[in-house]
Amino acid sequence: MSNAYIDQFPAEAKVVKALFYSSFVALALGGVFGIIQTLHRTDIYRFIDSANYYSVLTAHGVFMVITFTIFFLVGVFTWAVTTSLDREVEDIRFTWAWVALMSIGTVMAAVPILAGLTDSIDMSAAVLFTFYAPLQGHPLFYLGLVLFVVGTWVAGADWFRSWWAWKKENPDARIPLPTFMVLTTMIMWYIATMGVATSILVFLLPWSLGWIETVNPLLTRTLFWFFGHPVVYFWLMPAYMMWYVMLPKFSGGKLFSDPLARVGFVLFLLLSTPVGIHHQYLDPGISEGFKFIAMTNTMFLLLPSLLTAFTVVASMEHGARQRGGTGYFGWLKALPWRDPVFAGMALAGLLFAAAGFSGMVNAGMNINYLVHNSLWVVGHFHLTVGTAVALTFMAVSYWFIPQVTGKELWNRSVALVQVVLWFIGMTFMTNSMHRAGLIGMPRRTAEPQYEGFEFETAVGSVGELDAQIALGGVLLTLSLVLFFANIIGTAFGSRSDTLPDNGYAEALSGSDDAPRVLDNLKLWTAIAIVLVIFAYSLPLLSIVDRGGLFGPDIPPLPVSLESVTFLAFAVEHVATVALESAGNFAQTALSGVIN
Amino acid sequence: MRISKAGLLVALAFLAPILVELRTVLAWADIHLSVLETVFVGAIIAAGLLLWAFLPEDGDETTSDRDVSNSEL
Ligand code: HEM
Ligand SMILES: [Cu+2]
Repeated sequence: MSNAYIDQFPAEAKVVKALFYSSFVALALGGVFGIIQTLHRTDIYRFIDSANYYSVLTAHGVFMVITFTIFFLVGVFTWAVTTSLDREVEDIRFTWAWVALMSIGTVMAAVPILAGLTDSIDMSAAVLFTFYAPLQGHPLFYLGLVLFVVGTWVAGADWFRSWWAWKKENPDARIPLPTFMVLTTMIMWYIATMGVATSILVFLLPWSLGWIETVNPLLTRTLFWFFGHPVVYFWLMPAYMMWYVMLPKFSGGKLFSDPLARVGFVLFLLLSTPVGIHHQYLDPGISEGFKFIAMTNTMFLLLPSLLTAFTVVASMEHGARQRGGTGYFGWLKALPWRDPVFAGMALAGLLFAAAGFSGMVNAGMNINYLVHNSLWVVGHFHLTVGTAVALTFMAVSYWFIPQVTGKELWNRSVALVQVVLWFIGMTFMTNSMHRAGLIGMPRRTAEPQYEGFEFETAVGSVGELDAQIALGGVLLTLSLVLFFANIIGTAFGSRSDTLPDNGYAEALSGSDDAPRVLDNLKLWTAIAIVLVIFAYSLPLLSIVDRGGLFGPDIPPLPVSLESVTFLAFAVEHVATVALESAGNFAQTALSGVIN
Repeated sequence: MRISKAGLLVALAFLAPILVELRTVLAWADIHLSVLETVFVGAIIAAGLLLWAFLPEDGDETTSDRDVSNSEL
């Protein structure tokens, strides 16, 4: 008999399997909408009405970055906690309860999004995954999101419960690294989701139900981004966890340093939230000073990112040398490229480095103006969440799915081709998206083809850029088809007894080398909260002060015609006087200079 | 062979970003490659890579122990 996860934790394996399959359904749907909108906006093949573009884009965004990523990562977290604490969940019914909450939430949010595509149902939520007011969705959409998030909160409680129970039995032991990573990530998530929870429960949901007339769009946007930046770390930290605790194992070595990994995760916990305003550099109504603080905090995030890059590459090199690799770069050849799990994760990491460069441009307050809301940004996050996260998740699936189903992977070669194809597809798609963004091509636009105006490209033509985006999209879709073929093939396979053992990488420098204070989660939570208060209290106060909690006071309607004409006259009068005095001033100044 | 088949596949895939970026970089030096020319340059580099990979190593016996990437963990 093998010693796979399903053998050790049969009940939990069922949960994790259900979570993975749910996430794959979302990935499949997201992929379908992805290729539709790619071909549509590049004008290569259009079969939907452009008026429905936002429904399609909402479906793509929500299914990909909310459903696919989060369902997958809660599965990984469940695996990580049970495996590293070596204990079953405290109560499996409790675990299924949060799975149910998340699933019901997803269905509730999906119904109005998809209903928006047909005229027969009078419902829609074409609000994009950022649901900025004044775009308004059906109440079911907001309710679904709330349930989904509450589900993740309960999931976190489940993992904390396990840890507390374990701590009672092991009072002096260090928190095992994977559990440490889960707990720090969840603390960050609890803090971050306060933003969306407030935004939805206090403002958007009552507004969409008609209980309140108006909202303050800048306030709800700011609350969204309070959550919107940390959510990217909610996707990334599980991917990092895979790079830290799994990649070294697949490279045939050990994690370079456990303490460094802990430092990285603590820094992510501290710095993820007080940076959200960096998504709002172009929002009027937030003063430059606050934006500058957000930028500074963002630059500090570079530190844990580089720590991660260093540790992961060092671990890989260690593994390669264990396998007989030599030389400055020669060791690269000794890495297990034949293994799709390894190759996929390594390629994901490689493209993540590129994402870091374009991210630096986004993060700089001044150069952000060049790329803001352009296709550049879309190129950037298809490298981060769309590759670093998505490709890592797909690659580790080739290890996880056999672990939780007890079945051999259907085909390793297809898996290898799949991850390589994703890499190539993303290279083409994101390269051209970045370049298109640089010349000002907008994102979130069904038809960025304008009459009487030409974008000026630096290299090639707009047609070429579009073709390259579409080529990338097609390769990605192919890659997804191969992925699902493999998953379905595996699911229908028969039970195997020769699966590798469940487990994760040991560390060269282990947890004993890590200062105790790193495990003091209360301390880090307190500091994180203080940083958030510093970064957000003043901006939020001034937003409310200026725009009102529920939006600016609305002038009484209807405005009488007389007052409009009077207003127009007044404006004109003031303008004329101002111009005249400016003219006079210029004249005196000029004559002063000349004489 | 000098590297494993899988290693070669990844090396070829890595040509994609190199080529698309190369085209942009060359444009700074006022060398404007058309798509076809870029594909052509890519084909030459790929051919070179393949040639290098399939050339026998200097003491060919070592191939098998170099080619560790095919081995299972
Ligand atoms: C089959 C592969 C994919 C293709 C062809 C694709 C294509 C696209 C395109 C063309 C857009 C921009 C549309 C516009 O702004 O007008 C877009 C937006 C987006 N994509 Fe993808 N994508 C793919 C995979 C992914 C993955 C794996 C993720 C994340 C896990 C992702 C997340 C997003 C998000 C969040 C948006 C922004 C939605 C918005 O602006 O509200 N995509 N995608
Ligand atoms: Cu951000």
